[in-house]
Amino acid sequence: MKEPATSENDPIQKRLNKILETRLDTDKDTLEALSDLSTFFTENTLQTRRNLRSQIEKRSVAINENFLESFREVKLSLDSICNEIDAMAKSVNSMKENLRSSQALTHDLIQQTNSLQAESNKLQIDQQIAGAFLSRFQLSVAEHQTLYGAVKDAPITPDFFTVLDRVQSIHADCRILMQSGYQTAALDIMEEMTLHQEGALERLYRWTQSHCRNIDSHDVGSLVVQAMSRLQDRPVLFKYVIDEYATARRSVLVRSFIDALTVGGPGGNPKPIEMHAHDPKRYIGDMFAWLHQAIPTEKENLLLLIKLCDKNDLSEQIQNALANIADGVCHPLKIRVETILNSEKDTIILFAISNLLRFYQNIINYVVKGGNLEQCLIELRGHSEQSYLNALSAQVRSILQRPTTQSMGLDPPQRDLVPPPSVGKLLNILKEILSVASMVEGRQSDITKIVSCVIDPLLQSVTESASHLPTIDMAVYMLNCLYHMQTTLAMFEFMDERMERLQAQSDAQIDTLTSEQASSLVANLNLGPIYTILQNSQARIEANLLKIFMNKMDAFLEMPDVLLLPQINLLLSSTHRSTVQKRSFNVIITIYKQIYERIHDPESGYESPESFFSKTPEQVAELLSG
Amino acid sequence: MSSGPYNYNYIFKYIIIGDMGVGKSCLLHQFTEKKFMANCPHTIGVEFGTRIIEVADKKIKLQIWDTAGQERFRAVTRSYYRGAAGALMVYDITRRSTYNHLSSWLTDTRNLTNPNTVIFLIGNKSDLESTREVTYEEAKQFADENGLMFAEASAMNGQNVEEAFLETARKIYQNIQEGRLDLNASESGVQHRPSQPGRTSLTSDTPNNKDQCSC
Ligand SMILES: Nc1nc2c(ncn2[C@@H]2O[C@H](COP(=O)(O)OP(=O)(O)O)[C@@H](O)[C@H]2O)c(=O)[nH]1
Ligand SMILES: [Mg+2]
Repeated sequence: MKEPATSENDPIQKRLNKILETRLDTDKDTLEALSDLSTFFTENTLQTRRNLRSQIEKRSVAINENFLESFREVKLSLDSICNEIDAMAKSVNSMKENLRSSQALTHDLIQQTNSLQAESNKLQIDQQIAGAFLSRFQLSVAEHQTLYGAVKDAPITPDFFTVLDRVQSIHADCRILMQSGYQTAALDIMEEMTLHQEGALERLYRWTQSHCRNIDSHDVGSLVVQAMSRLQDRPVLFKYVIDEYATARRSVLVRSFIDALTVGGPGGNPKPIEMHAHDPKRYIGDMFAWLHQAIPTEKENLLLLIKLCDKNDLSEQIQNALANIADGVCHPLKIRVETILNSEKDTIILFAISNLLRFYQNIINYVVKGGNLEQCLIELRGHSEQSYLNALSAQVRSILQRPTTQSMGLDPPQRDLVPPPSVGKLLNILKEILSVASMVEGRQSDITKIVSCVIDPLLQSVTESASHLPTIDMAVYMLNCLYHMQTTLAMFEFMDERMERLQAQSDAQIDTLTSEQASSLVANLNLGPIYTILQNSQARIEANLLKIFMNKMDAFLEMPDVLLLPQINLLLSSTHRSTVQKRSFNVIITIYKQIYERIHDPESGYESPESFFSKTPEQVAELLSG
Repeated sequence: MSSGPYNYNYIFKYIIIGDMGVGKSCLLHQFTEKKFMANCPHTIGVEFGTRIIEVADKKIKLQIWDTAGQERFRAVTRSYYRGAAGALMVYDITRRSTYNHLSSWLTDTRNLTNPNTVIFLIGNKSDLESTREVTYEEAKQFADENGLMFAEASAMNGQNVEEAFLETARKIYQNIQEGRLDLNASESGVQHRPSQPGRTSLTSDTPNNKDQCSC
């Protein structure tokens, strides 16, 4: 390090360099220092130069003193500032402290406020829900009023049904409520709605009932119809209303019926039905025609009243109500018809009335079943049937009564054995009734009764009088009477059984006559002894007997009619006549054939059988059946 | 009347005879209506009843004449004997007189009917045991001696009524089967009516129609 250093290390060098390097024109500090110096170094003298230093130093001290003085003031200000700041800091600190503590205090409050706010929001929502709930599940005041009526006995309005519907739908909605878990509320509301419904229906019932009670015109209002459809859920109330209705209609119907009978239509047109009381058929016909028109109208109106009721099967109630409505007319109807039935004596008229009754009974029963009217019609019809049968019996009896003896029976048979006139009279009566025969069902039993009513006593009377006659006359007389009856009845329907019976009776009498005629022929032809021999296979018929028979036989064959019983010609029916004749002749033909065969039988030992017979059995048969 | 198919194959004619009051009308009523008719009016002349029965699978229509027992109607009632295939002869077991008259009824029947007429003797009112005047044995012996069928019956309770009518029909049917009855004779009391043409083997195909219709 001995090396005298480089230029840099040499302080002089360094200074020099520095001075050299110094550029005075650019060195601002130097320039300023110089300018400042010029202000106070005004004279360049040695003195001055020697003093310069001290001067500068003095000047520096003065400045510094000045400086110090100034700074002292600053320092003092600063000190006071400092003090104030300290005080401020202190109060800030205390403020801060205060703030911190109050901040701690507010925190709870805020929290409380927030929770209250939340709660308030929730409550507000709750309130909305509750409002919606109430309007959904409760009736409004107005609705309540509609349902129960603003004043006592206020009439039912159409709104009523809307509210009632609402009550029912609320009730129904409670089910959903219940399913959603709100059992208690649902049950409470349900109960409340049930009460409303009951109350409303009760009011509706009273209103409807009083409405029906006063139902005078045929017009049934639509509100009533609606009311009925509501009431069908309450069968008991429903029935009361229907009962009330039926009772009201019943008295209206009776009144109208009596009016029609006694007063007639408005202004006497049509005329009162009773005007025709002298003409029983018309009178009774008109009464029933009126009923036949009025009763179906009642049915229509009743059906209209309940046309919206579709929940229950009402057919029985309808029937009962109709029966009830129709009940009232029974009494006036019955007395009038019975009066006629009791006073009328003409069988034909009574029969016509009976048919009329049956006809209307059928069609009215079609509308009204059960009840007094049905019973009344059954009775009237029974009565009418009895009346015409009684009238007929009386008529039959009066004809069969023999004027002299007052006992039943016909005029005694005359010698011609024709049926007495009474038979024809009775059969004419029968014919007349049967011709009126109705077109209504059940005719057959009617007709059978009518026929029995005439024919049975007639047959008995005929038999009575026949029983006094000798057999042949009896048979002919019976046959003639039977024939008369048969030809009359044959024209009518439903006579099969009766005809069979008459036929069988005729057959019996024909058998009797045949037998009598055959016996008479056998006697007249002297066949008796021969016939007895014929029965015995051994005995031989004497030629003598045969000759007599053959002579008689020849005469008979010439004129067969001669040997006919005179009464046979009295038979009215030619068929009867020819039947008896043919069958009795057949007996003779048969016997002739037997004789012929016996004589021709070689075992009988006749010499020349041909000599006995002028005719073969075939020829005889030919002649007799010709 | 005699055309068309019938719902029966035969008609058998019966008569019911016997004294008045023995119960003839009641027996008929019991048989046709299955009811006892307590207050039956007196029969005047003849009454009539029918019922269809079945014998050996054949339908038979019984045409039954109930006659009046009174003497004054004899002339009328006798007419009905002739055509009878069966005769029910009735007496009252509680009135001996009605039994005593049987022989006269029997004579009438024998005289007026054909020999093959089946006669059934009925002792009626068998329900009145306490007032019986005719024993079963006595009547049975009478029946046997005269070749009659016999039963005691009651029109009141129906006992043996059905049987008497049916037995008679069976016997008649048997007679037909054995050829003893001439179906074509009007007195036989039997008419044959083939219900289906050609099915019958009993008789000719022309039934005895000539007496059927008088009009
Ligand atoms: N106890 C009883 N009474 C009878 C019986 N059959 C008929 N009667 C009665 O006898 C009476 C005469 O009967 P009815 O048939 O008229 O006799 P008919 O004259 O032979 O026809 C009537 O009063 C009947 O009630 C019966 O079987 N038992
Ligand atoms: Mg009798």
